[in-house]
Amino acid sequence: MRIFDAVKRANRPGPAEHSITLRVACAGAVVTGIAACRAEGELSWNVAGGSIALVVVGMVLAYRTRERPLPWIKPILALSAVAAFIWFFRQLTGQTLYDVSTVEDPLAVLFVWVQVAHAFDVPARRDLAFSLAGSASLMAVAAAQAIDLTFGFYVVVWLACGLAGLVAMWSSASEGGRLRPRGVIATLSAVVVTGTVVLALLPAPHVAGKIDFPSAAGSGTQLPDPGGLAGDAKVAQLAKAGTPAGATRVGGFLGFSNRLDTALRGGLGATVVMRVRADRPSYWIGETFDRWDGANWSVTPTPHSPQRLNENSPFILPGPAPIAGPTQTDLQTFYIVQPSPNLVFHADDAHEVWFPTHDLFVSDDDSIVSPIGLGPGAIYTVQSYVDTPSPDQLRSAPSADAVPASIDERDTKIPHPYPRAEALAESVTARDGNTYDKVESLIAWIAKHTRYSTDIPPLAPGQDTVDEFLFGNRTGFCEQISTALAVMLRSIGIPAREAVGYVPGPYNPITDLYDVQASDAHAWVQVWFPGYGWQSFDPTAVVPLANPSPGATLVHDATGALKRLPWIPIGIVVTTASVLTVGARWRRRRPRTWADKAARSIEAAGRRAGRRRRPDETLTEYATAIDELAGDPSGTWRALAGVVEASAYGGRHPMPGDDRQILASMRALRDELPRPGVLVGVGGIRRAGALGRRRSSPPTRGTDGNPSTDGDG
Amino acid sequence: MTGRAGRGDPVGVTARTRRLVRPVRPAVPLVSCAGVLVAWGLVAHNSGAGWVQAVGDALGGVLAVGLVAPALVAARARIGIVESPGDGTAGLPVELVATSNTRLRVRPVDPPGPDAFVGPHRAPSVTRQRAGAVGAAEGDIGRANTEWITLVPRRRGVHDHVVVEVASASPFGLLWWRKTVVVGLPRSLHIGPRLGRPLPLPGGREDTAGGGVLDATVAVGEPRGVRPYRPGDHRRFVHWPATAHSGELMVREMEGPTAEPVTLEVHLPADADAAEQVAERAMATVVELVDRGASVLLVTTEDGGPRTGTVGDRRSAGRRLARAVADPGAPPSP
Repeated sequence: MRIFDAVKRANRPGPAEHSITLRVACAGAVVTGIAACRAEGELSWNVAGGSIALVVVGMVLAYRTRERPLPWIKPILALSAVAAFIWFFRQLTGQTLYDVSTVEDPLAVLFVWVQVAHAFDVPARRDLAFSLAGSASLMAVAAAQAIDLTFGFYVVVWLACGLAGLVAMWSSASEGGRLRPRGVIATLSAVVVTGTVVLALLPAPHVAGKIDFPSAAGSGTQLPDPGGLAGDAKVAQLAKAGTPAGATRVGGFLGFSNRLDTALRGGLGATVVMRVRADRPSYWIGETFDRWDGANWSVTPTPHSPQRLNENSPFILPGPAPIAGPTQTDLQTFYIVQPSPNLVFHADDAHEVWFPTHDLFVSDDDSIVSPIGLGPGAIYTVQSYVDTPSPDQLRSAPSADAVPASIDERDTKIPHPYPRAEALAESVTARDGNTYDKVESLIAWIAKHTRYSTDIPPLAPGQDTVDEFLFGNRTGFCEQISTALAVMLRSIGIPAREAVGYVPGPYNPITDLYDVQASDAHAWVQVWFPGYGWQSFDPTAVVPLANPSPGATLVHDATGALKRLPWIPIGIVVTTASVLTVGARWRRRRPRTWADKAARSIEAAGRRAGRRRRPDETLTEYATAIDELAGDPSGTWRALAGVVEASAYGGRHPMPGDDRQILASMRALRDELPRPGVLVGVGGIRRAGALGRRRSSPPTRGTDGNPSTDGDG
Repeated sequence: MTGRAGRGDPVGVTARTRRLVRPVRPAVPLVSCAGVLVAWGLVAHNSGAGWVQAVGDALGGVLAVGLVAPALVAARARIGIVESPGDGTAGLPVELVATSNTRLRVRPVDPPGPDAFVGPHRAPSVTRQRAGAVGAAEGDIGRANTEWITLVPRRRGVHDHVVVEVASASPFGLLWWRKTVVVGLPRSLHIGPRLGRPLPLPGGREDTAGGGVLDATVAVGEPRGVRPYRPGDHRRFVHWPATAHSGELMVREMEGPTAEPVTLEVHLPADADAAEQVAERAMATVVELVDRGASVLLVTTEDGGPRTGTVGDRRSAGRRLARAVADPGAPPSP
């Protein structure tokens, strides 16, 4: 019975909460949570709009009935909560749980439903605290699917509402306590600092369970040529045209298609093309090219390529097991932002793919091709083995004689002899006894003797990219550099091919995603090592920039960073904060009583006359000083001050109507006060007759046509 | 705890003061916050969603500030009593005017009393405006940080200090932190005993001389006339008609006692409860005698030794009995 009594006591409704600020803040937090879920696509517009409206209605009704809650509310709300849970479980039952979004969407609806129901029964402070806590669960559900910084807008608004609600809660609990501006600043600073420290100290999130491997089709459509690449004309360009300072061609980076044209010139923009969550940064390969013709790379067609995987998600990719046995894995989830070619990017040694289709295509070169175009909203997850052999292992790999014939035939072929490139390669690698050292030596030579720049002259018709790069301007970007390395390796009999994909873009510590931009598109080289397979080498990474300019780079980076800031949400927040601050200050300064208003009117009159009130001066003393300034021996202002003080301290308030008259009289008298440096006319100031009553007859003309001299003074 | 009769230092005697702040019922808030953060952390970390973790970090910051900041506020809180009455009665409320530098919940400990809130707040209707302060400082009306603290002393005694427990939950109200402070009073507070059952008093004076002389019973306490006001006259004796007529403040003049003063010796036992009962009876007896017009000579024992003096009203009787201490020669209980 004691436990039962304790439970009963704990559930006894608390005293009615009268603070409107607290209710508005709680409602704001809940509405923000619903809006955040809607922004992440977890709620439909109808559900979100209806829920927001019902929350507002519920909160208003709960406020109105806070002293005497309606007795039939609780049973109805309890039934609705039960119905919500039943609906939730029915949504999940019988569904194949592909990924966490399968659970999160109905979960969001459930949370919203519970919040809406709860909004109708919040008479006491404790109930409002539950609403506030419930809004946190809505934000968590929305945050689980947020992948960019725009979600930060909702976080900021929700935090603001939550903090305001908590402060209002304390204010109510302390019977009117208030925070001084210094306290508000200290509190906000402490919250920001503490949250930042926690963010910095905690390890990055790690996807744990297979339920969390998301995949979604997004806005992609089925392609007419399953297994083919749709990178040429059917998808949007990924790059902008190059700068006018360099010789450019129209177009941009079209590497993700059936051919890679190294003659193309262009600058790639900072458009985010996809966001990637990965256990480690890697080169996310899209495809490889094995046929070189002097200016273009392409893929040698093979009879059984691409292979169709027709097994539903997750797809197990064909390929050898890890060389060293069970090893670490690297899980990558790709969130497509811009229309992309139908290539499934992945780290080396991809093993398993969670993709929102029934089939997938794999080429001989291990490129993974999607049957649908990948548009914004597409999501897929790839699991790769982390199977990087050490340099010593690669040095000990068998010689090139052990290369399979198919690879030897395809990946050592060059379109025509490169005598100069071959001689160069042989001279550079003369002292190296194994493939790995030869590759490293050539990379070191390239780093020493070439420069990186995207602003290079166009290739003349018939000109060879490699000859021009190695023996001409020795300046180029990743395509020229990697092609030169691949050709040099092929010229000395080492199998090499061109790989294209993306390097990790900037890492966002808040979203835990890499924001891969168009300019992160990259080309590098893969070299075949018997026993170890294709190993990636990036010669561009060690090539120094042409004409490096730290200052320009800094400005460029800063400008880029500023451009990436979400100015609209920031502007909205700053504007809202400014408006609220100004409004709060105005509200705090406005006179609360008639006596306040009247006192300020007297002070305004004095200031107008050039006499400010001293802090130690009573209103009557001040009014007497004004009378002296005005040359009014009858003491009009003093009399008015007396009326004001009688109202403030004696409880003798003027009649309704008279109070407005008095204020009007003050304004009129104020206008007649002499300004500093202004001559007072003959007759001085007109007096306000009986207190609060002033004859305000318009000027009249006498029978002689002249203005009447009958005045008030 | 008692307000000690006589003058005594309450520090270390009536209440052990704790200047260190300590939380009030921290189990539920701490366990709740820890549970929320751990659950959030597990979900965030294993879901791989950076925003979930980021929002959780912000929430953790809020909870950490909400749990720890009140300790700092309470530690830095300062409270003072700006006005206090000089007299009171045991069992009846005594109001003090207090001020503080931050919003505090104040719980009087010695003497005890109900909780009150003191400090900057938003409600102008409960504040007292300073006289002549209409518009004196712009926006100042309604912002006074003085408020009332009510004491309900259980026993008589003299207080130069009060022991209060101040608590704060600023800024979020998640957890209250408290500390005990000793606050000095602007002047000593004398708490007189309640009115108990008076001693049985004899009737009027009998004339044993014979001769048929009738004593003209002097109606002690009845008005004899009016005279101008003198400082010290009680305001309830002001004669308003005479005042309006004469234009200056006039008071009624009462008949004074003509009989010999009645001597009342009060010997308080060592037992506090018994002493309180004795004091109450003495107070009631004195009040009745004074009401009858008798002059009372009160004999008590104070800290400095026996004290004899005339008491002419309830206030002075209350003060004398508030200061009275146990008589070493008195029996343990009456």
